[in-house]
Amino acid sequence: MRVSYEWLKSMVDLPEDPHDLEREFIRTGTEVEAVEVVGANLDHVVVGQVLEMEHHPTSDHPLWVCKIDVGDNNLGEDGKPKPLQIVCGAQNFKTGDKIVVSLVGAVLPGDVKIKKSKLAGIESCGMNCSERELGLGNEHDGIMILPADAPVGMPFSQYHGDSDVVLDCEITPNRPDCLSMEGMAVETGAILDEDTHIELPAIAHEGLVRTDSMVEVAIADRELCSRYVARVVRNVKIGPSPEWLARRVIAAGSRPINNVVDVTNYVMFLTGQPLHAFDLGKLSERAGKRHIVVRAAADGEHLTTLDGEDRTLTHDMAVITDDGVRPVALAGVMGGLDSEIDGDTVDVLLESACFQSGHISRTSRALNLMSEASIRYERKVDAASCDEVADVAAALFEACCGAEVCRGRVDVYPTPVEAAHVILRPDRARALCGADIPDATMVHYLERLGCVAVLAPEAGEIQVVPPTNRPDLTREADLVEEVLRLWGMGDVTATLPAAKNHAGGLTLEQQRVRLIGSTLRACGLNETLTYGFADEHDLERLGMPEEGRGCAVKIINPLLADQSEMRRSIIPGLLRSVAYNVDHGVEDVALYEVGHVFHGRPTRSQPDEPTYVAGVLAGSWDRDGWNSKHAPLDFFDAKGVIEDLTDALRLTKIRFKPTDPDKYPWLQPGRAAEVFDAGDLLGWVGNIHPASAANFGVECDVVAFELSVEALLRKARRELPYVEVPSLPGVDVDLAIVVDEEVTCEMLMQRIESAGGKLLDSVRLFDVYRDPVRVGPGKKSMAFALTYRAADHTLTSDEVEKAHDKLVKKVCRSTGGEVRG
Amino acid sequence: MAMIDDLKAIEAQAAKGISGAPTLDDLDRIRVAVTGKKGSLTGVLRSMGAVPPEQRPQVGKFANEVRGRVEEALEARRVELSHAAMQARIAADAVDVTLPGRRPQVGSQHLISQIVEEMEQIFCGMGYRVMDGPQVETTYYNFTALNAPEDHPSRSARDTFYVVDNAPEGKEAHVQGESDVLLRTQTSGVQVHTMEEHEPPIYMICPGTVYRPDTADACHLPQFTQIEGLVVDEGITFGDLKGTLDYFCREMFGSDRATRYRPHFFPFTEPSCEVDVSCGVCGGKGCRFCKGTGWLEILGCGMVDPNVFGFSGIDPEKYSGFAFGIGAERVAALRYDLPDLRMLMTGDMRFLRQF
Repeated sequence: MRVSYEWLKSMVDLPEDPHDLEREFIRTGTEVEAVEVVGANLDHVVVGQVLEMEHHPTSDHPLWVCKIDVGDNNLGEDGKPKPLQIVCGAQNFKTGDKIVVSLVGAVLPGDVKIKKSKLAGIESCGMNCSERELGLGNEHDGIMILPADAPVGMPFSQYHGDSDVVLDCEITPNRPDCLSMEGMAVETGAILDEDTHIELPAIAHEGLVRTDSMVEVAIADRELCSRYVARVVRNVKIGPSPEWLARRVIAAGSRPINNVVDVTNYVMFLTGQPLHAFDLGKLSERAGKRHIVVRAAADGEHLTTLDGEDRTLTHDMAVITDDGVRPVALAGVMGGLDSEIDGDTVDVLLESACFQSGHISRTSRALNLMSEASIRYERKVDAASCDEVADVAAALFEACCGAEVCRGRVDVYPTPVEAAHVILRPDRARALCGADIPDATMVHYLERLGCVAVLAPEAGEIQVVPPTNRPDLTREADLVEEVLRLWGMGDVTATLPAAKNHAGGLTLEQQRVRLIGSTLRACGLNETLTYGFADEHDLERLGMPEEGRGCAVKIINPLLADQSEMRRSIIPGLLRSVAYNVDHGVEDVALYEVGHVFHGRPTRSQPDEPTYVAGVLAGSWDRDGWNSKHAPLDFFDAKGVIEDLTDALRLTKIRFKPTDPDKYPWLQPGRAAEVFDAGDLLGWVGNIHPASAANFGVECDVVAFELSVEALLRKARRELPYVEVPSLPGVDVDLAIVVDEEVTCEMLMQRIESAGGKLLDSVRLFDVYRDPVRVGPGKKSMAFALTYRAADHTLTSDEVEKAHDKLVKKVCRSTGGEVRG
Repeated sequence: MAMIDDLKAIEAQAAKGISGAPTLDDLDRIRVAVTGKKGSLTGVLRSMGAVPPEQRPQVGKFANEVRGRVEEALEARRVELSHAAMQARIAADAVDVTLPGRRPQVGSQHLISQIVEEMEQIFCGMGYRVMDGPQVETTYYNFTALNAPEDHPSRSARDTFYVVDNAPEGKEAHVQGESDVLLRTQTSGVQVHTMEEHEPPIYMICPGTVYRPDTADACHLPQFTQIEGLVVDEGITFGDLKGTLDYFCREMFGSDRATRYRPHFFPFTEPSCEVDVSCGVCGGKGCRFCKGTGWLEILGCGMVDPNVFGFSGIDPEKYSGFAFGIGAERVAALRYDLPDLRMLMTGDMRFLRQF
């Protein structure tokens, strides 16, 4: 809402400095987006007159080479006024027109500096200006044409009058009243504690011809329209609006068109009630009358709106029809082209109606057509004042268009709105605000806002009747808000809740989710976030079967084709991040994400949203340093990360089993494992299959993992039992054992541990060695460091030897291995 | 008294050798040669039998003194030499300390989750719990129960992602989208879930991902992170809201930051307001960063609307409460003056490792 300071000042006393008002607006909830000074800073801008205009001789574009008289502002060598040569692209002017000229040296809004220049080879010594270029309005289709009596050479700022200030205010959707100058005046009066002095024009003379003898109105669908007031004015003289009217229409952000249209716009800006003027002569006549019928549009019905667009309508939209048949306006949004006011209009049918907000809002969105009217209807206009507003408009038609006002109105108002009656308990208000606001102050605030407020002290309540243009004031809480914002939120003392009987903090599970993150970071992985959206082909591209991941959660209105559903795995997003890094020259990538995935269910509305932790490793941990070398990251780096993670969560029965390539086609066979805790599958770790990685633009080796956070948390423990720290020395013995390739490390370790008995304290694999000659084909040598220890005495070498011999025999027998000499 | 002379000679020679011994090994050789089993001094002491008995005490005493002095000298020289050796080793060991250290690779936490954790920390300190809710939500929880009118523009497909409803029967009328299931546009729905599932007092925050159909650009993401807060208890006032959010803003942005409460409108709170903190760049004087206003908009909040209590079955006469919502990306952008929010989603290691 653009609020002209000059206009507002005519209705309520304002501070000298508009910025003081801006601050008060902000304090009480009216956001001010900009404070614009209009009509100022227009040095070197003068009134000019077009003396001659010729087509530009060479330009392909339609340019005019003009001679413009600017009076004394440009003198020839003889000291006499000399016309300026200006090249101009506008097409809306003719010889003799008075226009606005920026001379060389002018600086226009937006820091546009006017210099002598050449346009298509011809010298141009200034600029003919549009409203927009002057910062006066939005009009930019042509240059501004001034009335014929504008004095040539006069500085434009002098001609145009005092500059004005416009506060561009953002009005919240609950305040339709503030989409009008009247409403803003009441609001401002309440904020500043000033009386308003709003004078509305009144009809001077009503003719003898009655409106209801010329017009009938019917509302076919009461849900669409709660009131329809029609007034007729006759014999209008179409022409430009008076200066004051045009200026206010411009200040409000519209552009002057002609006096009739300008009056409807002006009254809308003044009262918030959208109006529409039909050319009465263009409406069909039956039995000497025009028949206005408000009805729902038919699906597929067409209407050409004022902007010249052919609109296809639906049954959800409301139309104004000519006798129920031909649509002549899209109700509440825009008039029809067929019944538009034009230069030949004689009689005008004025509509002041109240259309249902939901329909208007949907219509406006469906047609992508927003208008000053639709914005106001969307937020509800006040049906109670349609009649008064029609009278105000009629009075202005009379004053500004020379119209004769027909007697009376046609007013279809099936169910008059009733003012709300709301009880405000001052004690309740004080309790909610936490501020000691006196009863009388509350009453005063509410009265300033146009409410009738009566304090009933014995009942401990204020009985309030809000004005009908405040649909947001229906409950006590709404009034509390009004009281609080006028009292000043800043003046409420800040306190902390005096809370009883509650405790807070993270749950154990939440703490463990944090532990997962901190452990992965300690391992060297960096946390990232990727989109919850997915491409519908993501799983397919990865080669990840849908099984176990539910059905896709499809977005009906995606922004992008590759974000058309919700992800079922974090891995595709992470692979994209790997590709992004590699493409940007970052080869070492270590990322993880903890997040939800979406597993849809075919018969339920909402999907399961399990949490997963997933990671990707590519390149090395770091580039090699002067004193540190980094091997390429491989399967065992990822596995090590998982081992640290499961340790941190105190999972004790972790096993890694080779994956079945049929079940894990996105992983490289032989370098992938399922991760179990006891019998429970936690997830997987492995190299992404090179073919899958390539589908995401990744050419390097990527090791990844994906674990179910729920599964991890189910088995996580707070602590493990304490194990005595050894106080007696142990005996270290190395054992290299040659086994078949099929014998896994896990198998060998199990055998060693079970064969070692009580005395075997620990086993550590420190080498795996293959050599067809020294070890033998199909075989490997695995070297273990064993530590023997007894808790109660220092072992003798005999004891160790005995135990070790026994271990070696047992292990060799059960694995077919041989001790390597 | 030839033996005394011998002792004196040995002592003199040993002293000379000891003081001149260049290394610990040389010194040790001297020790062996003088006081070792076959050493010269040991030899002399061994031949004490040849000394006439009446001279023995005197010679013996002298011999022991010589031995003591020699041993003392040996020890002193050993200390000296080993100290020198350590000094030499240290000197040889010196490095250029400006060479880079050998750093364990430690990962970084994503900026957004740092901010979320920071907020969780602040509110947990005030006795809040952290709640979660579904991201694929119903229109009821995302809008209706939050008092958003049926025709509210935020419900339109232009402002909300709708998803295909696999079980559409028995739902609310399809007013806006083709579906009653959507990607939550706000974490506010968790307010309703929490009030349905828990009796007051409720002190909770809910950080979570939300979605809106805004094309990703420098200032927008179609997916971002909101932190919702809700307090429901007896006697909660607007002053409590202010005290809580003032505390939060000081903890989050610094104790020198001021706050400003501007009345605003949200369907689910009444009264509602937006909170600004004073600009940290200019200290509130107005600069490019705060667009000359001196203030930065941080969050929306208000007293819980009685209608919302009604939907959740909480008696608004007995309880009152406040709610607030903060965008984590907004906080991140303000704290670091991020030029492009899309950086948050690319996984660029060079970006992630800065935080």
